[in-house]
Amino acid sequence: MPRILGVDIPNDKRIEIALTYIFGVGRTTSRKVIVDLSLNPDTRAKDLTDEEVARIATHLEEVYVVEGALRRQTMANINRLKEIGCYRGLRHRRGLPVRGQRTRSNARSRKGPRKTVANKKILKK
Amino acid sequence: MSRSIKKGPYVDLKLFDKVAEQNGAGTRNPIKTWSRACTIVPEFVGHTFLVHNGRVHTKVYVTEDMVGHRLGEFSPTRTFRGHSKKEAS
Repeated sequence: MPRILGVDIPNDKRIEIALTYIFGVGRTTSRKVIVDLSLNPDTRAKDLTDEEVARIATHLEEVYVVEGALRRQTMANINRLKEIGCYRGLRHRRGLPVRGQRTRSNARSRKGPRKTVANKKILKK
Repeated sequence: MSRSIKKGPYVDLKLFDKVAEQNGAGTRNPIKTWSRACTIVPEFVGHTFLVHNGRVHTKVYVTEDMVGHRLGEFSPTRTFRGHSKKEAS
């Protein structure tokens, strides 16, 4: 199995799909890469020659921000928001939705599993 | 939806004039403002604004990173101090 940019080991899918296993590469980027390097989109990832793999890797690194670099970039953006103390930064700090969604219900992706608060109303007799 | 590029950034003119005046005089006095929607432009860097949040004016010291944001983003309008603790039985 070929390795592109370190960790990624796409399987025996068509390269158009296999490349999307790389963080930061979707169908659009994947297609662009194939066109730019004039590869056959129907080749399976395992059938790529070493030279082709190397070309894909260098092309990805040069033209796009992928994998570690992209993750770092995203984190840097979030940290900038946190540091300047703007509203979006505050929402990131608290782990709440950043783009004005409701939090009365839902928002579970940001808030994580429900923390149920015990019912404080005790029935009086 | 973001603002049309054609219009350029929204900057409160009165506020901008006050900043320009201070830049000319070389002073850095805090400027009281209600204009939360005003975009922070590079001229504002280093100034302190007192941005109204509906109740009080919060102090906002503008740094370079804040350019492009709006003044209101730095003056929260809501106070949330957490939910009430469970009563002791």
